[in-house]
Amino acid sequence: MDAGRLFRVWGFGLGLFFAAPLGYLVYENVRLRSDILDILGVGRTWGPLGNSLLLAAAVSLAAMVVGTALAWATVRLDLPGRRLWAALAPLPLVFPTFVGATAFIALLARGGLAEQVLSPLGVGTLPRLQGFWAAWLVLTLFTYPYVYLPTRARLRHLDPSYEEAARVLGRTPRAVFTTVTLPAMLPAVSAGGLLVCLYTLSDFGAVELLRYETLTRSIYANRLFDRATSVTHGLLLGVVAVGVVVVERWLARRRAGGFAATSDRPPPRTNLGWLRWPVCAAVVAFLLLALVAPLATLGYWAGRGIANPGRRVGAFALDAAGIATSAASTVAVSAVAAAVTVLVVLPLAWLLVRRPSLSASASNLLVTASFAFPGIVVALALVFWALQVPFAAVIYQTLPLLIVGYVLLFGAQAANAARAAVGAVPPRLSEGARTLGARRWRRLRTVELPLMTPGLLAAGGLVFLSVMKELPLTLLMRPTNLPMLSADIWDSTESLFLAQAGLESLVLVAASGVLTWLLVLRRSEFA
Amino acid sequence: MIKPRHTVRPRAGRTARLLALVAVVGLLAAACSSDDEPDDPITVYSGRNEDLIGPLVEMFEEDSGIEVEVRYGSSADLALLIETEGDATPADVFISQSPGAMGYLATQDRLQTLPASVLDSVDALYQAGDGTWVGFSGRQRVLVYNPNLVDPADLPESVLDLTDPAYDGRVAVAPANSSFQDFITAMRFDSGDDAALAWLEGMAANNSPNYPKNSAIVDAVLRGEVEMGLVNHYYLLRFLAEDPDAPGINHNFAPDDIGSLLIVTTGAVLETSDQPSAAQAFVEFMLTRQAQEFYASETREYPLAAGVQPPDELVPVEVADVMDTIDFDVLGGGLARTQELIEQSGIVR
Repeated sequence: MDAGRLFRVWGFGLGLFFAAPLGYLVYENVRLRSDILDILGVGRTWGPLGNSLLLAAAVSLAAMVVGTALAWATVRLDLPGRRLWAALAPLPLVFPTFVGATAFIALLARGGLAEQVLSPLGVGTLPRLQGFWAAWLVLTLFTYPYVYLPTRARLRHLDPSYEEAARVLGRTPRAVFTTVTLPAMLPAVSAGGLLVCLYTLSDFGAVELLRYETLTRSIYANRLFDRATSVTHGLLLGVVAVGVVVVERWLARRRAGGFAATSDRPPPRTNLGWLRWPVCAAVVAFLLLALVAPLATLGYWAGRGIANPGRRVGAFALDAAGIATSAASTVAVSAVAAAVTVLVVLPLAWLLVRRPSLSASASNLLVTASFAFPGIVVALALVFWALQVPFAAVIYQTLPLLIVGYVLLFGAQAANAARAAVGAVPPRLSEGARTLGARRWRRLRTVELPLMTPGLLAAGGLVFLSVMKELPLTLLMRPTNLPMLSADIWDSTESLFLAQAGLESLVLVAASGVLTWLLVLRRSEFA
Repeated sequence: MIKPRHTVRPRAGRTARLLALVAVVGLLAAACSSDDEPDDPITVYSGRNEDLIGPLVEMFEEDSGIEVEVRYGSSADLALLIETEGDATPADVFISQSPGAMGYLATQDRLQTLPASVLDSVDALYQAGDGTWVGFSGRQRVLVYNPNLVDPADLPESVLDLTDPAYDGRVAVAPANSSFQDFITAMRFDSGDDAALAWLEGMAANNSPNYPKNSAIVDAVLRGEVEMGLVNHYYLLRFLAEDPDAPGINHNFAPDDIGSLLIVTTGAVLETSDQPSAAQAFVEFMLTRQAQEFYASETREYPLAAGVQPPDELVPVEVADVMDTIDFDVLGGGLARTQELIEQSGIVR
């Protein structure tokens, strides 16, 4: 079988695989004989549905603005310390939202840390942190890296000669931006925005703690005692997700003049003069809010616990060796899961760019839309389907099946970024190499892979960060003796061992930061 | 120039295939034989967190020589996992943080009847009517308040008094939380659906601020965001352990008041367990003096067996008075109706 045919079969299989959550929800609805029309016809459905859509739209818009602005500022402006800001900017993605939301409540709500610090300065009481705006703020701060990372990669490798040509031909800087740079950036911005939108639809941690009634919250709240409503709302979420992906693809096709030329020339940098100081201050202020503020709260908890040993209920001591073991195994599992996920979706990305077809688009639709399902739905779907397979007990709740689950959860992120990576290889280069007699493997190794590497690393980086913080699937499907940091953090937070939760979260962020820097940012952007 | 490799390849391939075959056969053999081995580990699905029950699991392993593998998660998620796994579930024991998730599995006939030796060690009030689960320990419902904002003299003897207009906007509730729902279910069986609905409507009319869960209420009370809240007693103790100066006090309702209900952590052996005797030994261990003293002294909960006394800060509940009208068994099964009443009352804001 030639490579193209093999890829087509693989892409089709991938579509089937990613239909697993949807198939499971359909099966459950049939099994429970849920009266879908009746459930859909009441306010209990329309309120949460409207809230989900509103929140997803607002968070995606804000994340697209913030993510693009940060990418622009760190690539195209001569800001002092821009490499440091560039390396810190993706990190908020690694906060599990239940930890992030708890930290923001402790910090910003009435009587919280900020109020205690600011009260000598005459700042009055802060309002209660809840509802739409609270959920919007917290989710925007924790999801903008979905936009920032691909947009930055795009800007970093954009061939500057197009902009130079436009300038030489007499266009104003503003016209150069709107007619050349922006169209080149838009695919990355919009792909990132799509991920933010789907993630927001799937999120439970933030909307639960900040009390905003969405479809996902209803799926969770009713999961045990009103299964019919829960699975019907799950199915509805799937339909919404498919709709969102279709709209995004349609908009993408309408955009004219996307060009894929990349270059290794350093991107042009605007000299801002004195303006670079206020701009830099704005970037720093934003990172203070998105990264340092939650870290400060977690650090405060950890420090308080370390300062007051023995005052705790019971003899529960901080366990440094345990945390280190968890961190090591979490990093290892996340790295393997990231590599496997990228490899699995790469053939589909190649098909979509080089051999677009209805079947590839349909597979892509299922892969991407599945990202909107909350973790518990995907976890139960995986359990349901895995146990249909004979001898499933051999792999059930072992590492291989856990990795399969991560692929199912985060394939959408990798597929999006991998598509951009394949797009970075100009077809004429591959053809040129073939004309010169290079065989398939040699073309891949010497021409295509080097060009795809930055994009593939970005894809792997996103999956890596997501696996590091993943919770529902990790809890239900990991081997019982496999320590994972996210599970530890959840355990400590639930039983209110805040010092431990703070320390574990700091380790999670630190490990993610170091690994992202070493494996993704340094290699793809600063080489 | 490639020829020499060609002559080697088939042998390497054969060896690899042989190895793979051995590995697969080995795995299959391990998978098939694992069921009959007597000293196999038992698997516990625990809705109670590792920080709280991990030390007890280790004590059991030392005592019995039986190895235990624990999967931690939320009680509701684990109940759903067991339901989805069906007969293939690896779990032998299920521990639920509240009676609700346990009752869900009981109504699906997924639990075994426990032997008399286990059932006899717990008061009949804290076990299933059909003997499928037992309570390990209890968390008491209390009213947590911030002494900087509330005069203790204003605090009521009964939870039913909180519908008085004097408490308008002052008492936080967590209507989506399982402990609150268990409490409402108990109230329904104590005094009827109408009375429970009336109380919920009274709390709704009093504009009771909503929070997602117990810990969020205690956190808000300590910050001074809300004056008091209906919670389980345990959470304040944890917050005070982390921050001894935080302003919070647990107020106990009268010992015979429905507001002093105990929310019990429950354990059961699954119908599909392939090692029922080891699983029963695990459940039985949780009711021994050693384990019950751990609950009383370490996790500061209400012990339910072996005559162990509750910790000082808990007002001894006149158990029979609160409980004798409540069929705890129904706490699980009756939750769907409880949720309807909560929704109907308008207390969810």
